[in-house]
Amino acid sequence: MDGIVIENLSKHYGSTAVVKNVSLEIADTEFVTLLGPSGCGKTTTLRLIAGFLKPDAGTIRVGDTILSSKGSVVPPEKRGMGMVFQTYAIWPHLTVYENVVFGLEVRRIPKQDARKRVTDALDMVHLGGMEDRYPNQMSGGQQQRVALARSLVMEPRILLLDEPLSNLDAKLRERMRWELKELQRRTAITFVYVTHDQSEAMALSDRIAVMHEGELVQYGSPREIYAHPANRTVADFMGLLNLVPGRVLGGSGDDGVVALGGGHRLRLPLPSGIREGMDVHVAIRPENVTLVGTASGDTPDLVPVRVASCTFLGNLADYQVVMEDGTQLRVQSHPLEIHDVGQRIYAQLDGSQCTVFP
Amino acid sequence: MGQTPAALNLTGVRQRKWGMEQIVATGAIASLIVLVVLPLASLLWGSVTVDGRFTFANFGRAFGERLFYQALLNSLILGAWTGLLSIVIGLPMAWAVSRTDLPAKGFVRMTANIAYITPPFLSAIAFVNLFSPNAGLINRFFRDIMGLPFLTFNIFSMRGMVLVTVLHTFPFVFLLASSALESVDASLEESAQILGAGRWRTAVKIAAPLVAPSVLSGALLAFVNAIALFGSQAIIGLPGRVFTLPTRIYSLFDYPPQYGLASALSLIFVAITVLALWVQRSYLAKRSYVTLAGKGVRPQLIALGGYRWIVMAFCIFIFLVAVVAPYLSLLAVSFSKSWGLKFWQNLTLANYQFILFKYDVTQRAILNSMFLAASAATIAVLLGAVISWVDLRTNVRGRRLLDYISLIPLGLPGIVVAVALLQFWLRMPIPIYGTLTIILLAYVSRFIPLGVRAASAALRQVDPALEEAARIGGAGWLCTMRKVTLPLIRPGLFSGWLLVFVPAIQELSASILLFTSDSMTLAVAVYNLYESGYREAVAALAILNMLIISAAIWLATKLGGRGMTGQKPEVTS
Repeated sequence: MDGIVIENLSKHYGSTAVVKNVSLEIADTEFVTLLGPSGCGKTTTLRLIAGFLKPDAGTIRVGDTILSSKGSVVPPEKRGMGMVFQTYAIWPHLTVYENVVFGLEVRRIPKQDARKRVTDALDMVHLGGMEDRYPNQMSGGQQQRVALARSLVMEPRILLLDEPLSNLDAKLRERMRWELKELQRRTAITFVYVTHDQSEAMALSDRIAVMHEGELVQYGSPREIYAHPANRTVADFMGLLNLVPGRVLGGSGDDGVVALGGGHRLRLPLPSGIREGMDVHVAIRPENVTLVGTASGDTPDLVPVRVASCTFLGNLADYQVVMEDGTQLRVQSHPLEIHDVGQRIYAQLDGSQCTVFP
Repeated sequence: MGQTPAALNLTGVRQRKWGMEQIVATGAIASLIVLVVLPLASLLWGSVTVDGRFTFANFGRAFGERLFYQALLNSLILGAWTGLLSIVIGLPMAWAVSRTDLPAKGFVRMTANIAYITPPFLSAIAFVNLFSPNAGLINRFFRDIMGLPFLTFNIFSMRGMVLVTVLHTFPFVFLLASSALESVDASLEESAQILGAGRWRTAVKIAAPLVAPSVLSGALLAFVNAIALFGSQAIIGLPGRVFTLPTRIYSLFDYPPQYGLASALSLIFVAITVLALWVQRSYLAKRSYVTLAGKGVRPQLIALGGYRWIVMAFCIFIFLVAVVAPYLSLLAVSFSKSWGLKFWQNLTLANYQFILFKYDVTQRAILNSMFLAASAATIAVLLGAVISWVDLRTNVRGRRLLDYISLIPLGLPGIVVAVALLQFWLRMPIPIYGTLTIILLAYVSRFIPLGVRAASAALRQVDPALEEAARIGGAGWLCTMRKVTLPLIRPGLFSGWLLVFVPAIQELSASILLFTSDSMTLAVAVYNLYESGYREAVAALAILNMLIISAAIWLATKLGGRGMTGQKPEVTS
C-alpha cells in the first residue's frame, strides 16, 4: 500500500511564506504528527494535503498519483481522505445518523449497507444508540466522536486530524488520546495529526515532524526528538529545558568534556562541528538532574548549588536551584526527596542525556 | 472495517477548470454588472453627452438655472431639518428607553417601529387629509368651529414636508442611539463615578462622547433617507410648489423627456447621498472602540421620579402624531362617503368594494406588486448568497470589488435607479421598457445590498469547516451548498427576504418612472388615485397596503424568530 510523499512543498499568502520547501514521507498505516507552535505552518500543510489549498511549489503524492502540484489540484471530494476538524464541524442541522451517513449518501451506497456501516462506525467510537440525537444535545467529547465516526465510516486510507483534542478538557483529552491511538492501531489507517501540544504528539505518534516558521526542522520518532533535538528551538519546544553556558575543553564524538560555568567538568557526547575552545550551551532536561544532599568522595562531577525554591506538584517536586556562577537550573525529582530552600546541596548532571548546541 | 482499501481510484482525477462554483460565481458577477454597473455607466454617459457629443452643458444647466439649483437647495434644507429633528425626537426616546426606569418601554419601541415601517407617502396623504389649507380636518376644526384661524397649519410647505418626513426618519436615530446606549459598557461609566464624577459629569464626559457617533450616524441615515423619498415630496411639495430633486427629476420626464438633464441631476443627487453615507460609515467605524465591550454589565437605570410623566407625555405625543393621527385618519377616511367633520353620519364600505372589486387597476396593481416584491426578494437574496459566498469563502481576485459593487445601490435614490435603468435599456435592443421586467430589475438592483447583507451576516455565522467537512466527505460544490450551506443560512436568508419584500411592496420612487398601465404597482396606484382626487378610495387602498405589509412583518416575526425590529436600520426608501 502507498504512503504520502510530500516534496518541496511551498505555500505563500501574499508575500509571507507559510510553508517553505517542506519534504516529508509518511509511510502507510503510520501515525505522523505535525508539531509546532501556532503559525508554524502545520495546519497549512495539513490543508494542502487535504486539497483545500493549492501549493505554490512542490508536489503531494499518494502512491503514484500526484494529488497536488502547482496549477493542478485534485479537489478534496475526490481524494478519498477523511478529516477531523478542530471545531469538529458537525453539521448542526443534521442528526448524528445523518451526519455520519452523509458521505455514504454522496457516494450512493445502498441504504441497507449504509445503515450497517454507520452503526459499525458509531459503535467503534462508543456512540451506539445515539443516532437520533442532534449535535447540540451532545457534549464536546461526543461531538468529537461523531466527527471521527463520520470520517471512519468512509473507510479512508488517510485520516487528517487538525488539533482534534484542543477543545476538550484535560481529563477527556487524556482519554480521547488513548482511544485515538487504539483506533489507529485497529483500523490501520494512516493518521496525519496536527497539534501544538508536544506531550500529545509524543503519546500518539510513530513519528513527529517538528515545524518552525514554515520549515520542517526535525522528523523522527518521539524518543529521538526528545532525547536528541536537532536544535535549540526543537529542544525548547519538546519540553522543559535547562540551558547551561559552558566551554568545550576537549575530546570529540561520544567522549567530550565541557567546563560549565564555575569550572565544573562534564563528560558528554559532542555533535560534529563543535571543537575545543568553543563557547556552547549544554541542554539538559529537569528530570536528568539529580540533587544530592552531601558530596561523597568518588563523584567528582557534582556541582554545588543553592536551593532557591521548591514547588510540590504531587507526583514530583519541582526545584529551582542556583549554581555558583548564578546560572539557574530547574530540577524535577521524586517528591519524597526533600531539600529546604536556602540549603546548599549538589546537583549531578547526567552527561549522557545532555545535548550541546553552539 | 479498515482493512479494505478505499473504493476510490485516484488515477487520472484532475480538477475541472470550470466547476459549478466558477459558473455560479461568474453568473453573479455578470448579474451585478447588468444590474448596477452598466446602468450607472449609461447614466454617467448620458449626463455628459448631448446628441452623442461630449459636453458639460447638462451640469451647467443643473447648477445655473434656478429651477434646478432651487430643487437641490430644497432637498438639502429638507434633509438637514429632518436629520436635526430626528435627533430631537429620537435621542430623548432612546435615552428614556435604555437608561431610565420609564414605564411601558415596549410601547415606546413599538411607536418607533411602526413609524419606521409606515410608508411616508401614506402618512403624507393622511396629513393632507388633516392639514390641507382648506379641507384639512384639523384646520377646519380650528378655523370654522373654534374660530382660531392662527392655529391652522398649511401642510403644503417645507415645514409640512419636514414634519411628515421626520416621522419616518426619527427611528434611525432612535434605533442606533438606543443600541449604543445599551451596549456601552456600564463599567466605563461606573469607573468615572468611582473616581468621583457625578451623574451629570459622567453623562457629559463619558456617555455622550461614546454615544455621539451613533447619534450622528443615525441623523445622517435620516438625511439620506429623507431626501430620497419621492412620494411624500410629490404629494406635499407639488401643490405647495416646493420642488426637490426627486420631483424635479420626475418632471423632466414630462413630454418631451430631457434625459441628459435628468441624468446630470441624478448624478448630483448620488454625489450628495454617497458623501453623506461615506461620512456616516466613518462615524460607524469610530463606534467599534465603544460598544460590545462587555455584554454582562448592564447600565444602572436612572430613576426619573416625577419627571417620568413628562418623558412619558413626550413619548405619547410622538405616538399620537406618528401613529394615531395618520392611521386613524386614513381609517376614518376609508370608511367615509365623503371626508368631513360629520364623519359618523356617512359610514360606508363602498371604498373598499371599489378598490377591491370594481376598479381593475388596483386589483392588477396588488397582484403586480405581490409578484414583483416576491420575485425581487427571492432574486436579491439568492444573488446575495452567491456574492457573499464568493467574498467570504474564496480567494477569487477582485472579490472585494464584487462586495463593494453590490453595496453601491445604497447610495442610489430610487428615482436615480429608474433614470439609470431607463438610460441603459432604452439603448438596448431588448424591449423591456414598459414591462414588469424593468421594474423587477429596478427593485433587484435597489435592494441587492439588503440581500448581500443578510446573506453575509448569515454566512459569517457558519464555520467554514462545516463546508470543508462535506467536501472532504466526497460532496462536490453544488451538493455542499444544497445540503450544508443553504440549510444553515436559511433563517438568515428568510429574514433577508422579508427585509426586501416589505420595502419592495411599497416601492414608489423608482416605479413612478417605469410603470405603464399594465405594469402598475400598488404604490403607484395609490399615488395616481390620489392625483385624480379619489381621496376616500386612496385611504382604503392605503389601509389595504398597510395590511399587506403588516401581514408580511407578522410572518417575519412568527417564522424568522427575530423580526424587522432586530435589524439595523438600512436605507430602503
